[in-house]
Amino acid sequence: MSQWVSLFKKEMLEMARNFKWIWVPITFILLGVMDPLTTFYMPQILDAAGGLPEGTVIEIPTPAPVDVLMMSLSQFSTIGVLLIILTSMGAVAGERKSGVAELILVKPVSYGSFITTKWAAMLCLLWVSFLAGYLASWYYISVLFEQIPIVEVFISFAIYGIWLSFVLSVTIFFSSLFKSPGAAGAASLAFVIILSLVSGTLAHIFEWSPAQLMGYAEGVLRTGTLQDHSVSSIVFSVACCIVILMGSTYVFKKKELAS
Amino acid sequence: MSIIKVDNLVKSFGDIKVIKNLSFMLEQGKCIALLGPNGAGKTTTLRMLSGLMKPSSGDISFSGIRAGTDIRSFIGYLPQHPVFYEWMSGEEFLVYVGQLARLSKKESKKRADELLELVGISESKKRRIGKYSGGMKQRLGIAQAIIHRPKMIMLDEPVSALDPFGRREVLQLLDNLKQETTVLFSTHILNDAEEICDEILFLHDGEIVESGTMEQLNSRHTQSKMEVVFKEPAKKFLSEFAQMPAIETFSFEGNKASFVVKDLDIVKKTLLKEAVQKDWPLVKFEISRTTLEDIFMKVVKK
Repeated sequence: MSQWVSLFKKEMLEMARNFKWIWVPITFILLGVMDPLTTFYMPQILDAAGGLPEGTVIEIPTPAPVDVLMMSLSQFSTIGVLLIILTSMGAVAGERKSGVAELILVKPVSYGSFITTKWAAMLCLLWVSFLAGYLASWYYISVLFEQIPIVEVFISFAIYGIWLSFVLSVTIFFSSLFKSPGAAGAASLAFVIILSLVSGTLAHIFEWSPAQLMGYAEGVLRTGTLQDHSVSSIVFSVACCIVILMGSTYVFKKKELAS
Repeated sequence: MSIIKVDNLVKSFGDIKVIKNLSFMLEQGKCIALLGPNGAGKTTTLRMLSGLMKPSSGDISFSGIRAGTDIRSFIGYLPQHPVFYEWMSGEEFLVYVGQLARLSKKESKKRADELLELVGISESKKRRIGKYSGGMKQRLGIAQAIIHRPKMIMLDEPVSALDPFGRREVLQLLDNLKQETTVLFSTHILNDAEEICDEILFLHDGEIVESGTMEQLNSRHTQSKMEVVFKEPAKKFLSEFAQMPAIETFSFEGNKASFVVKDLDIVKKTLLKEAVQKDWPLVKFEISRTTLEDIFMKVVKK
């Protein structure tokens, strides 16, 4: 256990030293506030951009606050997901590629701890960053539009966070499988895109798919209650994360460190 | 007492057999060199011994350790090109690695301080490893390998990348270390092995072609050499002498004659007696022994 803590602390320290603890939350906050601001100030922006004939009347219906929050969520699901993959794809693969894993794993370190501490540290970063971004979005919506009930915001936050955690787990898996961080990132991205496409087009079959969680998060915001299959989808996603982590440890152990 | 026993170790990458049927035993508390030219399989052997690589077949057993226990607690390993977390300081890295080897934080800190002093980089302990020179990294690598007082340390080419001064110091360090632990290191430099090792394993093409203590190797392979130089062509004086049965081979090169002799005493006596009686114009008379390098060349060419 104390070894797990040492490994975990090292991961946290590393993310502080290379400023991941600064720029990842900031990026998420920017993603979060972008849509409320641009949506609210769209008429002014269009006006300032000019090029419109004198006397043009710009009338844009004010969107519902939930719609604006959903815009932010879709930012997180594209750029946010990409950011998660980019920051974590080298977690295992990078250390193996550089050769430092050779030094660490010749000490009596459990392979499981080696993988799970990296996952856990990234998970902290992810939830904190996502929380910051989501709250920022919610705050600007409250100020510029109308307030959305905070309880529903938090439930949708938790549901969507599980999807992001799933993405992270997949990335850690490919990072353990491949020696090159680039390959790990590409494979993770491809996997996430295919999963989203398949679950999106065959939504009635893949109700429990982790990729549906965004839909369930939206459902909570719009109706105030959990929709059918939300819980099964959440449980399935969490189970997936655990299985993927075990799989990561397995494939990592199987691979020869030095080749 | 033997500390490690290797039986019929084989490692192949695809179709290429890098290690062919390696078997040997290492004694506790000794310093052993794994000597061989580049590509002989030294690194592969060390990686298998340290558990970083699985053998294709064969068996490695450590004495006094039950089968199935994690051997990694008992060994220290330094790869050929050690890579560290560049963003850590030397001290942080040692403390971290010590904790991974299940030392308590306090112990680990104490040990890190000791070792930084021992390997001579305590002045730079607060600096980031990314700013360390190659020699400092090598020293840090040795420190991390012994932080948990392993029963055996394995070092892959610990001195090959160092300048002559660094080499001397690191060899000295290894020499001191063998008081506490068994040291196995690979090298392709003969002098290093000769200087501090009790035992040498010659590895060539994935096989052990020769092994033994320095004395054993010497008695098995070394012969006496004699070199005589005259003011005039040597053949004039020694062509008859060279036919003596105690001389194995001879060669003349102008004023110089060299012999490889079987019985040094007889040859020496005869030659010097004649030189005095006949008043030969001797310039140089030298007796030497074939060196480890000659053995190395002989063994590898076989």
